[in-house]
Amino acid sequence: MHKEAAIREPLILGDKTYHDITADVVGPIENKAPRAWYILITIAGLISLWGLGCIVYLIATGIGVWGLNKTVGWAWDITNFVWWVGIGHAGTLISAVLLLFRQKWRMAINRSAEAMTIFAVMMAALFPGIHMGRIWLAYFVFPLPNTFGSLWVNFNSPLLWDVFAISTYFSVSLVFWYIGLIPDFATIRDRMTKPLAKKIYGLLSFGWSGKAKNWTRFEEVSLVLAGLATPLVFSVHSIVSMDFATSVIPGWHTTIFPPYFVSGAVFSGFAMVLTLLLIMRKVMKLENYITIKHVEYMNIVIIVTGSIVGVAYITELFISWYSGVEYESYAFINRFSGPYFWAYWAMMTCNVVSPQLFWFKKIRTNLTATFILSIVVNIGMWFERFVIIVTSLHRDYVPSSWSMFYPTWVDIGIFIGTIGIFFTLFLLFARFFPVLALNELKSILRVSGEKYKKEDH
Amino acid sequence: MSLLNQGLHEYNSMANDKKYWVGLEELHETKEFQESSKNEFTQSSLSVDDFLSETDLNKTSTNRRDFLKFLGFSVTAATIAACETPVINSIPYVNKPEEITPGVPTYYASTYFDGTDYGSLVVKTREGRPIFIKGNKKHGINNGALTSRINSSVLSLYDNARLKNPRIEGDDATWDEVDRNISEKLDAIAEAGKEITLLTGTIISPSTQSAITEFKKKYGEDKVNVVTYDSISQYGIRKSHEISFGKAMIPHFDFSKAKVIVSVAADFMDNWLMHTQYVPQYAKNRNPQSDWMSKHYQFETRLSLTGSNADVRVPVKASQQGMVLLALHNEVAKRTGGNQESVSTDGLPMKRIAAAADDLFQNRGKSLVVAGSNNAHEQVIVNSINAMLGNYGNTISTEVETFIKQGNDAEVLELTTKMKSGRVGALLIAGDINPSYSLPYADDFNSALEKVELTVSFAGKADETASKCGFICPDNHYLESWNDYYPVTGHYALAQPTINRLFNTRQFQESLLKWSGNNTSYHDYVKNVWQEYTSSMGDEGFLFDDFWYNALRNGSVSVKVPKSEWSPEMNSDALRQAVSKVKSASPKSGEFEVVLHTKVGIGDGSHATNPWLQELPDPISKVTWDNYIAMNPADAEEKGFKLHLGQELPASLAKVTVKGKSLELPVVPQPGQKRGTVSIALGYGRGANGENIGKSAFRTGNYGGYDKDENGNKIPIGKNAYPLVVFEDEGANYNLTGATIEPASGTYAIATTQIQHTLMGRDSVVKETSFSFFKSAPKEAYNKPHELSVHEDGETVKKNVDDIDLWAQHPVEGVGHRWGMSIDLSTCIGCSACVTACHSENNVPVVGKDEIRRGRDMHWLRIDRYYSSEMDLEKGEDQDLGVIDTYREMEVPEYENPTTVFMPMMCQHCNHAPCETVCPVAATTHSNEGLNQMTYNRCIGTRYCANNCPFKVRRFNWFNYKAYDKFAEVNPSQDAVARMVLNPDVTVRSRGVMEKCSMCVQRIQAGKLDAKMKGEPLEDGAIITACAEACPTNAISFGDLNDAKSQIRDDEADKRTYHALAEVGVKPSMSYKLKVRNA
Repeated sequence: MHKEAAIREPLILGDKTYHDITADVVGPIENKAPRAWYILITIAGLISLWGLGCIVYLIATGIGVWGLNKTVGWAWDITNFVWWVGIGHAGTLISAVLLLFRQKWRMAINRSAEAMTIFAVMMAALFPGIHMGRIWLAYFVFPLPNTFGSLWVNFNSPLLWDVFAISTYFSVSLVFWYIGLIPDFATIRDRMTKPLAKKIYGLLSFGWSGKAKNWTRFEEVSLVLAGLATPLVFSVHSIVSMDFATSVIPGWHTTIFPPYFVSGAVFSGFAMVLTLLLIMRKVMKLENYITIKHVEYMNIVIIVTGSIVGVAYITELFISWYSGVEYESYAFINRFSGPYFWAYWAMMTCNVVSPQLFWFKKIRTNLTATFILSIVVNIGMWFERFVIIVTSLHRDYVPSSWSMFYPTWVDIGIFIGTIGIFFTLFLLFARFFPVLALNELKSILRVSGEKYKKEDH
Repeated sequence: MSLLNQGLHEYNSMANDKKYWVGLEELHETKEFQESSKNEFTQSSLSVDDFLSETDLNKTSTNRRDFLKFLGFSVTAATIAACETPVINSIPYVNKPEEITPGVPTYYASTYFDGTDYGSLVVKTREGRPIFIKGNKKHGINNGALTSRINSSVLSLYDNARLKNPRIEGDDATWDEVDRNISEKLDAIAEAGKEITLLTGTIISPSTQSAITEFKKKYGEDKVNVVTYDSISQYGIRKSHEISFGKAMIPHFDFSKAKVIVSVAADFMDNWLMHTQYVPQYAKNRNPQSDWMSKHYQFETRLSLTGSNADVRVPVKASQQGMVLLALHNEVAKRTGGNQESVSTDGLPMKRIAAAADDLFQNRGKSLVVAGSNNAHEQVIVNSINAMLGNYGNTISTEVETFIKQGNDAEVLELTTKMKSGRVGALLIAGDINPSYSLPYADDFNSALEKVELTVSFAGKADETASKCGFICPDNHYLESWNDYYPVTGHYALAQPTINRLFNTRQFQESLLKWSGNNTSYHDYVKNVWQEYTSSMGDEGFLFDDFWYNALRNGSVSVKVPKSEWSPEMNSDALRQAVSKVKSASPKSGEFEVVLHTKVGIGDGSHATNPWLQELPDPISKVTWDNYIAMNPADAEEKGFKLHLGQELPASLAKVTVKGKSLELPVVPQPGQKRGTVSIALGYGRGANGENIGKSAFRTGNYGGYDKDENGNKIPIGKNAYPLVVFEDEGANYNLTGATIEPASGTYAIATTQIQHTLMGRDSVVKETSFSFFKSAPKEAYNKPHELSVHEDGETVKKNVDDIDLWAQHPVEGVGHRWGMSIDLSTCIGCSACVTACHSENNVPVVGKDEIRRGRDMHWLRIDRYYSSEMDLEKGEDQDLGVIDTYREMEVPEYENPTTVFMPMMCQHCNHAPCETVCPVAATTHSNEGLNQMTYNRCIGTRYCANNCPFKVRRFNWFNYKAYDKFAEVNPSQDAVARMVLNPDVTVRSRGVMEKCSMCVQRIQAGKLDAKMKGEPLEDGAIITACAEACPTNAISFGDLNDAKSQIRDDEADKRTYHALAEVGVKPSMSYKLKVRNA
């Protein structure tokens, strides 16, 4: 068993017993949901319906309902896509990479982070779908056997790589998440008294019996999946970045993109995890599990990745000047001084300046400050993608085609709508799923809860 | 044998004895069975019938079998209904017409003339429908040059607003009724001794003249009065020749002989006289590779198409044009030793005038001075300059006359007075003019019209004039008509119908003949006139039929030019008089001057209902679907008007008031417009009283449908500026002084296809140089290849980008065909004829103003227009401006007098196409003939290809243009009649797919097939793209780069040739020849 120094602060506070953990996690599922939950899910549900309505309008009418034009062929659609994929990075990173590094503190946050990942990737996957002019032919992107002769997909296209990268990432994340849920579902099943719920959780737990053999296999599968998921953390966003990096458009055609995008993704993912967890720990009274320590650790990840992103921004600027390519240098001069300068500076402020505040311990351990900054980072990261996509496209090689992008209400509606859908899914998760990996948490209770050990034995 | 027989018998009897029964009922022969067997259908009454006949459903009983029947029937019915495809009845020919083979186009030579544009053309028809118009490169006086107005006229044939029947007092009638009524009335009027007036546009048709003569004969020579009216008058130039030489005429100008051209506001590339003839002549001398290149000076007020192509352009006020001519006259006289007139040269660009005079003098006899003014006195000075330079007999023919623009402004003015006084009993108005709209005093004319007893219009539509006439006798469209033309001395042209009449219309001439009592068809009539003419030539062995069919096939015929009867001897009194008139007409006080002009697309307004032309960006301003006040940006800035327009940035509105008449229009900043002046295009504001002149003549809303004014009426596009025209010196004056401009409240959205107007110093997009430098310097100096530093063998070497390749070459070099195109920026004048030709050939959708404003024009071929900027990177460095401010200033064009460059831009068919690699589904691929091709069926519309296109030439179908309501008013493919214009060889694209220039792949395929059928190798020039075909200056050449003898190979190897954005390494198949200015 993993040993920890006695002087190290315990990861679970509040003198919890095994039973307490189970009760704390399963309690909200068994009891009636608080009023706040109903209010929140109503709001989120309405926003999602609005978003879905916009999507239906878009598909029924045509891509023209967005503000795109002949010069700017992607704007909010792909910005949102990359933003959501980025957010979907934290979950796998926390559960897989931190698992491999034996970071026990991840156990309190990995479940919801993974759920967030799944939902974010679902939102992300929506956009490449609906941004197509003919979504009903979306199956063309799969290398399916067909009757069209030698017709095959274009393996040169980064968009095709995206299809594989995102679908692989989504399925691995989903399996990983679900495997982790099995013992917890079994716990809920065992406690459930309502027959239907018992039946459902019984089905969901795949007949988990809690035998040592079950646990061994569980550990093995987790490790294998962590090993599989880890490269995916890096591959997904690298590949997404190649949508841009392999193009010829100044501002897109940049070799720095893969690491830059991955760190940006981790950065935004952690910010989103913080946004969600800070609300959840308060509402679901999980302060003893998700402690200031966790928040601080995550803030440190944000400083590190935020700084990497900052370095990447500055490197890009330097290279644009150093390259001596007039289009390249103009693309970047235009970014910070052209008509979209406000987006650039919003990005710079939110992503580079604001996370530096976390160098102050006072700030990084302050929940309100963390909450505000986590939202600021998310806004900043949205702007980063907007800046990359729109400011590169709107003024590229041939000046006669330069134009501006103006979003329409449908652009805005769909983006807000995905946030609504995301929160609806997350609220459903918080209501019906164990939000903490309770069985795993029990393992760190034994290690860190020295006091509990002494008193009981 | 018997044994066998016996056996068989036994067998048979055995078989016969055997009894088979269906059920026990049959075996026992029960009563019920006997009864029921009588009835073939076991059920005495079918419950289906019951069910269907029973009105009260509760009483019916449906058993299991019926239920299954119903179910089966419903499912099958529903399934069959779902499978139903629209039934298209195609009826095969019983006897196939000899010349029509489905799928094979037929071509007819014909001629276009509408008073403004003249051109010999070839009409392409498919299955009996004209679908494309191109210039006749072999015959005719225009060398195949057409304008976008002419090649778009095929769409106006299919205009659903054309009258389907003749009308009497607004109601449909039959031709018999119309003829009876009109003949009776004409007789009565003739008897009453009142005048019968025929108001027409310029008639250059001998047969029409003859028909008019017959009409005159019938109703009395003295009673029938013919008045000729041109909506845009060029009366001054005809008049000036009367003053100068005693003969009212317009001579023929030969720009191809002119080494120096000085134009004072004559827009001879777009609307001045026989411009379709002048453009190819002009282009002939714009090839910098020949020994000399013509030098073109342009003194003008607004930045015209001609001015934007000039080597030296000098902005002058409209009111100064006369003085500029006088000063030029003096400068030339100084050199030739002629008489100088005393003029004050205050405020005139004397340096430029002197330079022009130097060049003119050095090239006397090989130079040409022209002026756009409609003022006869100013034209007299022009005549005098040309006479001094000895241009008559050289660049100006003394033998060949130009017969267009015969309109007599004075007579038209007089007609209105006569109508008011009631002296005119009948007014017959030809269809090619629209005086109720285009007369400056249209209100006056309209009220006078009410005093005329019989008013007949021959307009094809119930337009502004026709809707006010008692009778409308709709004329055929020119593509349904026979006609002949005599545009210049010694040249006859024919127009022939290319389709049967679509509607119940009748040719104007035929109507006239009918009323004159002559029932011959106009075809026979024209033929007779020609026969008479040829027999008058007195050639005994002449075979008329051969001559006629030859003329018909070629579209025109040239005959010997008769000797002229005048000499270019200037009347010196006339000059003195003109000089004093011009001097006295010195600029009047007033804040602003207004220049009224016509735009390339809409012309005088007769094309306002043609959506292709409405959507055609103006070559200079790039604005579509509107007219506006073009004002110098410096003036606009001073007056506080908005300088940046397009997309979500609307224009300021302003009110222009001239001589008590005012117009409220948006202000578009126009670099090069002389400060203190504005220009406004004529031809807009059609259908102001809701006349049904066509779907696309009215403003449409942001979500489709028409914009309506407070009274619920449709709002015309733009405003009518004709009322501002003034009549001075017996002629229409389009240059107005004493205007005031005040800001009006509100803003107005402007739809423009180009928002950034300068090149930002990107000389790998457009390269240009001067003629002297081009002649003296080596290729590397003016056409510098782009080099990159490459690490090779341990050291850094500079390598030409063309030699560096990341990718393997497509195996197209030397194998099969490899299509390429070359565009000469020196001869491209930006006229945009290629844009509409492409539109017509490739079924490009029209998307309307709102979509253009959103930056979603669908043009496969666009013409980029760049103005020069005062700033460049070097200057910025010298001035220590800093790079940000330098770039910001580079975005601003020169306000005063920018140089302009046009760059036709379409898919460059890159051999390393960035679009091809990024498409996830391989919908855009490279053909083995070097084409970058789009497979619409495969496209899922990710738009990745468009994003990754460095030239931004890909166009996305944002909506279902052929069915979505928003485009019902503008897109021809949504109209049942207009749809007939679609080219059946080209798919109409569905929503959600990408499209772009295909290099007219349908023509390439057809050409290859043709060669294959003939069993011959493909000849160079046998295949030509629509744009190359439409180019009046032959600036575009197309061919097979793998054909060693092809023109395109020479073009590709030319020292002026470069590939746009060569350093990106996409290796385009299109190349450009850099622009050379003779400055």
